[in-house]
Amino acid sequence: MFSRPLYIIATVVVMLICCFFFATILQQGVPERMPIGVVDLDRTTTSRNIIHQLNSMQMVEVTKQCHSYAEARDLLQRGDIYGFIVIPHNFYNELAGLKRPKLSVYTNNTYTVAANMAYKQLLMMCNLVSGALQLQVFTGIGLTEPQAMALIQPIVVETHQIANPKSNYSIYLIGTILPGILGLIILTTTIFSIGIEMKDKTSHDWLKTANGSMPVALIGKIFPYSVIYIILGICCNTLMYKVLDFPVAGSFFAMSMSLLIYVCAMQAVAVLIIGLLPSVRTALSIGALYGMLAFSMSGFTYPAMAMLPAFRSLTWLFPLTHYYHVYVNEALLNGPVENTVLPIIYMLLALIPPLFIVKRLHYAAEHLNYPTK
Amino acid sequence: MSLFSNILQNASKTVRFVWRVITDTVSAVFHDGGVITIFFVASLIYPVLYGFLCWENTVKEVPIIAVDLSGSHESMRFLRKVDASPDVKIVYRCTSMTEAERLLKAQKAHGIIYFPRDYADNLKGLRGQAHVSLYCDMTTFLYMKNLLLPANMVMLEEMHQIQLKRLNSLGISDELAYELTQGAPYEETKLYNPIDGYGSFLIPPVLVLIILQTMFLGICMLRGTFYEEKQTIYQANAHHFSHAILVTIGMALAFFIIYIGLSVIDLILIPHVFKNLPHIGNPIYILRFIVPMLLATIFFSLFVSGFLHNRETGMVILLPTSLIFLFIAGVSWPQPCIPKAWRILSYFFPSTWSMHGYLHLSSMGANMLQIKKEFDALWMLTGFYFVLTVVQQYITFRKARKQ
Repeated sequence: MFSRPLYIIATVVVMLICCFFFATILQQGVPERMPIGVVDLDRTTTSRNIIHQLNSMQMVEVTKQCHSYAEARDLLQRGDIYGFIVIPHNFYNELAGLKRPKLSVYTNNTYTVAANMAYKQLLMMCNLVSGALQLQVFTGIGLTEPQAMALIQPIVVETHQIANPKSNYSIYLIGTILPGILGLIILTTTIFSIGIEMKDKTSHDWLKTANGSMPVALIGKIFPYSVIYIILGICCNTLMYKVLDFPVAGSFFAMSMSLLIYVCAMQAVAVLIIGLLPSVRTALSIGALYGMLAFSMSGFTYPAMAMLPAFRSLTWLFPLTHYYHVYVNEALLNGPVENTVLPIIYMLLALIPPLFIVKRLHYAAEHLNYPTK
Repeated sequence: MSLFSNILQNASKTVRFVWRVITDTVSAVFHDGGVITIFFVASLIYPVLYGFLCWENTVKEVPIIAVDLSGSHESMRFLRKVDASPDVKIVYRCTSMTEAERLLKAQKAHGIIYFPRDYADNLKGLRGQAHVSLYCDMTTFLYMKNLLLPANMVMLEEMHQIQLKRLNSLGISDELAYELTQGAPYEETKLYNPIDGYGSFLIPPVLVLIILQTMFLGICMLRGTFYEEKQTIYQANAHHFSHAILVTIGMALAFFIIYIGLSVIDLILIPHVFKNLPHIGNPIYILRFIVPMLLATIFFSLFVSGFLHNRETGMVILLPTSLIFLFIAGVSWPQPCIPKAWRILSYFFPSTWSMHGYLHLSSMGANMLQIKKEFDALWMLTGFYFVLTVVQQYITFRKARKQ
């Protein structure tokens, strides 16, 4: 293990860079100042007031004032703005004359996250315009403001967000993405550290140090790595939940335990891959393919609920799925114990399949019957 | 002898040399199981997998809980309308919030809609404001969107009815009341991805990333092997700077030839096969865009891989870059929200420009003029990394010769 210190240093450094990257890139947590456009065909104080009010909203910023729909649409297609609002000709006059002038809102939902933020703000603006008009009329006929408000908005919808009150994107994302990256590193380094013995034809010596026993050789090889990965993982969790102050609704200890088992499960998967394909060339590529798939299959970006049923069962083959379930239950929801224990048991199940390839790997290590290049 | 006349004089020799580099590189690719897996298996399997994975595109019938303490005609009508929406489905009806929260935490449902005891009473009078509370499970953003949208639609509908009734009772005519409650109506148009499909949003940039990253990692693997095994391309008798240029061009052409076909499959054909993916772009424009996209990435990969002295190093160290490239590009997370230092760094990655340009062309139907920024940036990066690669090759050759 220490004969190639480069790989240990490299993995630790890569993990630290990733931690730093994801902690800083999403530091804002909630989108702000999304660029939007306004097509102001009215050009009155009312329309200027709308622009002004839009600018006072935290989430959007009017970066472009256009003269026509075509111009705004062109900017949208260039990706300069995420949405725009069209204030029609004669807007003020028609509004005052109760002629119901129409506002038009357009958003570019290719960028769904940004577009939805802009969309929400633009619709709020439209409702404000209607509301302001009503308030003016009602107070004009002698109603007090609360009375007028009851008329303008007889039903109020209050939204409470459970398990991520600030709807902070980074909390929701980093908690799974960093363990995912750790998983990738575990896969590639474990496959490499075993495969290199066969590639460099040193597997005989490797077996000899373990008195010819493959299980002992494997454990001797893997265990020191396990310690490093677990320390790395716990450091990541400490960074997230203790330093960056992400919420942990449940138990930090349970999360650390599940991380420990996740590390072992990922190592088991790696051993299985190199055992099935004892050629480091192919095994490494297959391991990478599998590792990258985990990010989409674990369901933390695209919920498993929306997957085709066949895929939903495939998600179980990825330890990251189960780790994500523990994370949701412990860090976000503080739900019932079984929702933590069951995924941990599923992860433990990953330790069984490698037992079946020990013999195959032993044979490969002895006879080097696979292409070493 | 100047470089230029040198090339002219040995035109046929040059072409033959470049041809040899191309064939050597292509044959190296096809004799390497690891690279074949990355180049062909990954770049063809992933798009199909992702296409199927996001087949449904949106989440439907998210299970929610109704807590109706009011038990009134009005609240039941509200609930019925919400339940009728395809986005959510009321699976539990609880009599207390404690019970509902317990179910939410056990992940039996992903949202609660709550009517307080006085909901109907507040609506009956002329002055009251009735409250509805929504509790959303935020473990996935999609759940919140699914609950908020139908609840707000129903709220607006109910509200207008009540408003009309109240204004009538104040002696305001139907017509005027109608004009007042919707003083400035609005129409909304969600362009390019009207149903907010998650697959339509996330898969197109991922398709680009699949092409670029398989190429990047494959090239790193191959170049690491060249170095490790001291293959001819490396040891070649480097007398001139032109040699480095020719080797670089030759290798780049080989990868370009291999990847142009794969790119057409992944970026033009796949979106047409999977109807959940947007595909309104002009294929000719996309093809024109693919050229600098591939070239910039090839030279970027050649430059980075020049530092790798082992076959496996690239895979072990550079695999997580896929996620970094995806996030730094500002596609899933809006670009204006990326901290400035990261944004500037992202401009040096071909993937950033490629993803945005491709999205504009394929998902938004932009023309070449509208992606000029991305197109030009990719050509600039092509030049930038070409020069860097040549210089680096030259230094490597000279070192090899000295040994």
